[in-house]
Amino acid sequence: MEAAAHAEHHHGPPAPNISSRVEAQFLGMLLFIISEVMLFGAFFTAYFFIRVVGHGGWFPVHGDELPKVIAGFNTAVLVSSSFTMHWALEGARNENRNAMRIGLLTTFLLGLTFLCVQINEYVHLGFAPHDHAQGTIFYGLTGLHGAHVFVGLTLLSFATTRAFRGHFTAKEHRGVEVPGIYWHFVDVMWIVVYSTVYLL
Amino acid sequence: MLNPLRSEQEAFRFLLYVVVVVGVITAIVLVARAIS
Repeated sequence: MEAAAHAEHHHGPPAPNISSRVEAQFLGMLLFIISEVMLFGAFFTAYFFIRVVGHGGWFPVHGDELPKVIAGFNTAVLVSSSFTMHWALEGARNENRNAMRIGLLTTFLLGLTFLCVQINEYVHLGFAPHDHAQGTIFYGLTGLHGAHVFVGLTLLSFATTRAFRGHFTAKEHRGVEVPGIYWHFVDVMWIVVYSTVYLL
Repeated sequence: MLNPLRSEQEAFRFLLYVVVVVGVITAIVLVARAIS
């Protein structure tokens, strides 16, 4: 009787059927990261094929060298941007708006520096993706990562703009938290790319 | 258990672990390569 009365007054679509015990937002992020790992995995497969199965070896190839020192500087820039991102989140959690704003802005600027240095590196490398297989894989892996940095910078620009407009509180700061998780993921991928492509 | 997808704090901790582990592995490989 009560249910019938409730149904009579209910307007709009029915409540969604939640069949999984996993939270929808967590599941979405999990599937996204898994797809990203598979995407990078495809490029790393090509890289390991060249190094292990192919007989061409890795850099230096035909006199072409990889700039390890500049890339090392860029790695330090990206890793430090994760620290400023974490600082921004701590600011949001503690209702310290200035720390959050400065942290987000610094993270954005450090990420932009990374991307600019990488573009400058491409300009001065002296070889193109079509010159040899090693070059193709180098540009493929680092370019794929650069594209992820660009996406991260886009997300960070949204979060920074919102932070300066007075959004986000100690309780509600998902708009900073999600770009933060993504930014750390991009950083983790760079650590793997730098160590395998440049150092090993 | 550490889950880097749950929060930014855990993702940051995961990043620090990756930096340490990859750093150690890279150092071992470079040293072994230099010795041999």
